[in-house]
Amino acid sequence: MRAFSGSREAFAAALLDMAEYDERVMVISADSLKAMRAVPFGEQYPNRYVECGIAEQCAVDVAAGMASCGLIPFVGTYCGFLTMRACEQLRTFIGYTHLNAKFVGFNAGLLGGEREGVTHQFYEDIGIVATMPGIQIFTPADPAQCYHAIRMAAEVEGPVYVRAGSGREVSVYGNDAPFATSGITVWKRYGTDALLLSNGFVLDRVLAAAELLSQREIHVTVADINILYGDDASEILREMAAANLVVTVEDHNINGGLGSYISKLACENRPVRVHRIALTSYGESGPANELADAYGFSPEAIAQAVAAARTQQ
Amino acid sequence: METKELQEIASLLRFEAVRMVYEGGDGHPGPALSSADIVTALYFDILKIDPANPDWADRDRFILSKGHACPIWYAALNERGYFQPKVEHFHLRQLHSEFQGHPSMKNTRGIDMTTGSLGNGIAIGAGMAIAAKATGKDYYTYVICGDGELQEGLCWEGANMAAGRGLDNLIVFIDKNGYQSYKTVDYTVGRNNPAERFMAFGWDVQEIDGHNFDEIKAAVAAAKQNKGKPSCIVCNCVKGKGVSYMENNNNWHKGVPTKEQFALAARELRGISL
Repeated sequence: MRAFSGSREAFAAALLDMAEYDERVMVISADSLKAMRAVPFGEQYPNRYVECGIAEQCAVDVAAGMASCGLIPFVGTYCGFLTMRACEQLRTFIGYTHLNAKFVGFNAGLLGGEREGVTHQFYEDIGIVATMPGIQIFTPADPAQCYHAIRMAAEVEGPVYVRAGSGREVSVYGNDAPFATSGITVWKRYGTDALLLSNGFVLDRVLAAAELLSQREIHVTVADINILYGDDASEILREMAAANLVVTVEDHNINGGLGSYISKLACENRPVRVHRIALTSYGESGPANELADAYGFSPEAIAQAVAAARTQQ
Repeated sequence: METKELQEIASLLRFEAVRMVYEGGDGHPGPALSSADIVTALYFDILKIDPANPDWADRDRFILSKGHACPIWYAALNERGYFQPKVEHFHLRQLHSEFQGHPSMKNTRGIDMTTGSLGNGIAIGAGMAIAAKATGKDYYTYVICGDGELQEGLCWEGANMAAGRGLDNLIVFIDKNGYQSYKTVDYTVGRNNPAERFMAFGWDVQEIDGHNFDEIKAAVAAAKQNKGKPSCIVCNCVKGKGVSYMENNNNWHKGVPTKEQFALAARELRGISL
């Protein structure tokens, strides 16, 4: 495993590592090679890097064509341009055809788009992809998980959407921690007063909230959910079975993402109160941490929301 | 294959396309008849394919970007021997049929790419052409687009990148019949000039009679000589070609013949009385 710093560098590192032994791995850019930090891949493998220009629909279609010929193309670009501008191409030519192409949506969420503002902040992507049967959804929490998510995306058969950060996310996982195939990694077991389920790059904030709650004699369990709408949710359900209250936290719109997924699991398997902490409006420009705090993702705000949800039981 | 033979096959395919729309009770006969001679030339003269081995890695690829014309494609695959036993009744657009309303690579043997949503064929074909170059294969990728379809911006995203990548193993036919769903292309966007447009995008461009087999074959041969650019062959076609009451009558963009109309088509295309 070569070294990397942020999630985008992790993406490039994973591709460079895989390219050494798998000639099928290709990178498709929608003028996003620099933004993806994948310039080293383009330089080292000019024949395995395809530039489509600022044309996301074209990039997804090119991936479909290449995958139909046995290659494993990775399209990496801003997650909203990928999942919204090229939504129909993903659905019809990737989901429906079940071709073996991989899609990495970068700079997801408020944290990912931060100073760029609403045009570059995307909190709808999971909700969109989740309605396309057959596309797996990986949501790595930090750079190390992003590396392993990219590697796993190449290994599994069929289309995968990886929701990745921008480099603003805090590293939580160790570099060697696997990308959990169960879709859940439990981080803290302080108690069963509530089960806090985190998704993506708010994990450090949820863990900090758990510490604040412990100081207030509310003892929670914290887990990271890294695969959404997967085939096997048994491990997630096992954790939910021990909880009287589940709180979901995600840098995504309140509809369609983790909260919706966990609510579905609860309704279908074991009714339990689910409180969702997520975005209910569009965002605005701002430094990543200030922005996340302002929109309800500060550890204190999360802790208060959990405490309040408990009193509503 | 000799021109006379190709003409004979094209008539058969046209009849089969009309028959499957008639029997299925739904479909787009006009667009299918427009593309019939290009499809016939490809499947019976040009394409390097093996019907017994539809997944052959070195085969030429074909994408019917104007996927609503698929009855002519299904007919060609059937006559070319892709289905064993040969299909007698296509059950077009019927529940659980192998022959979907628009082409589906998951449902139908011999279909290299799902289509139907207009505008995608050029970019997907570019992906196939890139794959050929990346894997050192010498196959060609052929695409048929409609002239109305070119109103989709994605066509030009694909045209742009195919030229930028120098994909001389990509050959796109424009079935230029002048019509689209509602009215003419001229009425809709003012100018139906795909040759000028593709030339401006840096493609090698030829313009031919899309119902003349000698011209289709010669244009493909010339396109293969061209190096460093993708090729566009603008084919002047007649929508509904071969069935008198459908020719240049846009009511047949989508429509189902009556029993009497079907009998007339059979007489005109096959010289048979039903």
